[in-house]
Amino acid sequence: MSAVAAPTGSFTSLCRKILGVRRLFCGFIGLVAFFAIWELGTLLLGLNPATRTFVTFGPIPTLEAFPVLWGEGKIQAAVAASGYRMGMGMLIAIAIGVPIGIVMGRSKRFREMSNSAFQFLRMISPLAWMPLAVIVYPEWDQAIVFLIAIAAVWPIVFATAAGLSKIDPAWFKVARNLGAKTMHMLTQVILPAIAFDVLTGIRLALGVAWIVLVPAELLGVTSGLGYAIKDARETLSYNHLTVMVLVIGLIGWFLDSICVALIKRYSWHHRGHN
Amino acid sequence: MSTSATATVNDTPRLMKSTGQGLFNFVTGLTILFVLWWIGIQLISSSPATAYFASFGPVPALRAMVAMWQSGLIQSAVWASGSRLGAGLLIAIAIGVPIGILMGRIQIFRELSNSPFQLMRMISPLSWEPIAVIVFAGWDSAIIFLIAIAAVWPVMFATAAGLAKVDPNWFKVARNLGASRRHMLTQIIVPAITFDVLTGIRLALGVAWIVLVPAEFFGVTSGLGYSIEDAREGLNYDQLMAMVLVIGAIGYLLDSFFVQLIKRYSWHRQT
Repeated sequence: MSAVAAPTGSFTSLCRKILGVRRLFCGFIGLVAFFAIWELGTLLLGLNPATRTFVTFGPIPTLEAFPVLWGEGKIQAAVAASGYRMGMGMLIAIAIGVPIGIVMGRSKRFREMSNSAFQFLRMISPLAWMPLAVIVYPEWDQAIVFLIAIAAVWPIVFATAAGLSKIDPAWFKVARNLGAKTMHMLTQVILPAIAFDVLTGIRLALGVAWIVLVPAELLGVTSGLGYAIKDARETLSYNHLTVMVLVIGLIGWFLDSICVALIKRYSWHHRGHN
Repeated sequence: MSTSATATVNDTPRLMKSTGQGLFNFVTGLTILFVLWWIGIQLISSSPATAYFASFGPVPALRAMVAMWQSGLIQSAVWASGSRLGAGLLIAIAIGVPIGILMGRIQIFRELSNSPFQLMRMISPLSWEPIAVIVFAGWDSAIIFLIAIAAVWPVMFATAAGLAKVDPNWFKVARNLGASRRHMLTQIIVPAITFDVLTGIRLALGVAWIVLVPAEFFGVTSGLGYSIEDAREGLNYDQLMAMVLVIGAIGYLLDSFFVQLIKRYSWHRQT
């Protein structure tokens, strides 16, 4: 599985194409099996008269409701609202987390002093900040962005610091010898070196933020994916509920895959041109 | 930072110094945090418009914590949350480790299950709450289900990753020596993957810790999340901050416990 230089040629690329097709095929079959098992569970629910109402949780009602909700624009609106909060929260987390991580990496004193405080703050379950956020911020949107930011900042801080600790100290000496100012040091040495780790931290932060987003939207807002789930449940539209659950899974999967692709791109095993 | 087991005999003074240093850093770091907190609240509550923020300060919080400890509120909340967390994690491990081993050993299973698992893994755990509440009669069971479904994925994938690291030759050797499938499991697989499984459980704990608090906001009348919601509704902000501190402290202790376990089972140490 290593990226060692392989003999080029049409045979190798053909093998790679076949493996790619196999993965796609397996992925497809896997999802079909998933839907089949889901449908089986729904049929079992339908057999028992006590649980017959829950048949609307099944895959067929869900797939039927999908185009309806899409046509009404409900999916797009929910995604846009949640996406804005996620995006803002992540941006703030990166804007705060990366500089702090770099300082942690560069200054041993700072790292030693701040470690226990950061570890403690990190382990405060993010939603525990919710009552405080609601009082501090007049708007619910701002409170949610705050919650996402405070949840996402920690993986980014620690991943950035870890990335910095991997940098060969000799590079700093060489850069200083060549007359690099602090700005140069930052843009030419530090940032390219830590890009891989920062992206790994962003992927973790995204995962955490994704968990925090939905419960944060269950209270007080009237838009977004979390709200859509609550709304569907309150109107007993179970097929709408499962549509939203699937949408959440798909978007989360999509975002995570982007991060994985970015991480591969900036991985040290690939240097520029493949 | 190396964990070399070959410490020299006269290392005690050095170890004492580094432990003392570590303790000093630990205490100083937290003290700085409290001081900054105190300064922040002093600044905010000095303005008459935001004077009510004074009850969010460290001194009211610590006083409330003492009072809540004496009345047993903290202990009962920790016990309620702890049992839900423990049950959820145990279920996640009981399901996640076997599936992870299957994923590691059987390639076709891994390839077929990858897509549905990746999809389900990225469904934000609290999205399952409406379904969980309908399926499970009691709120306690629903919360345990939420924790389990959130925690199972890190355990599963870490177990599978651990199995991928196992040298395939070990299996051949074991088979040659007449190992039955049970032996293979207990003598080869489980010791080899312990490190990765513990890492997965640590990650699962982190995820479960995030899910636990919002799951306890509604429907239950005990637990850490409920205590926060209760304090908020009663406008007892000092109690609220006290519970925030308790949550942070317990999370920190649990995570540190697993870090120690992981170090213990790390491959770099050969006792």
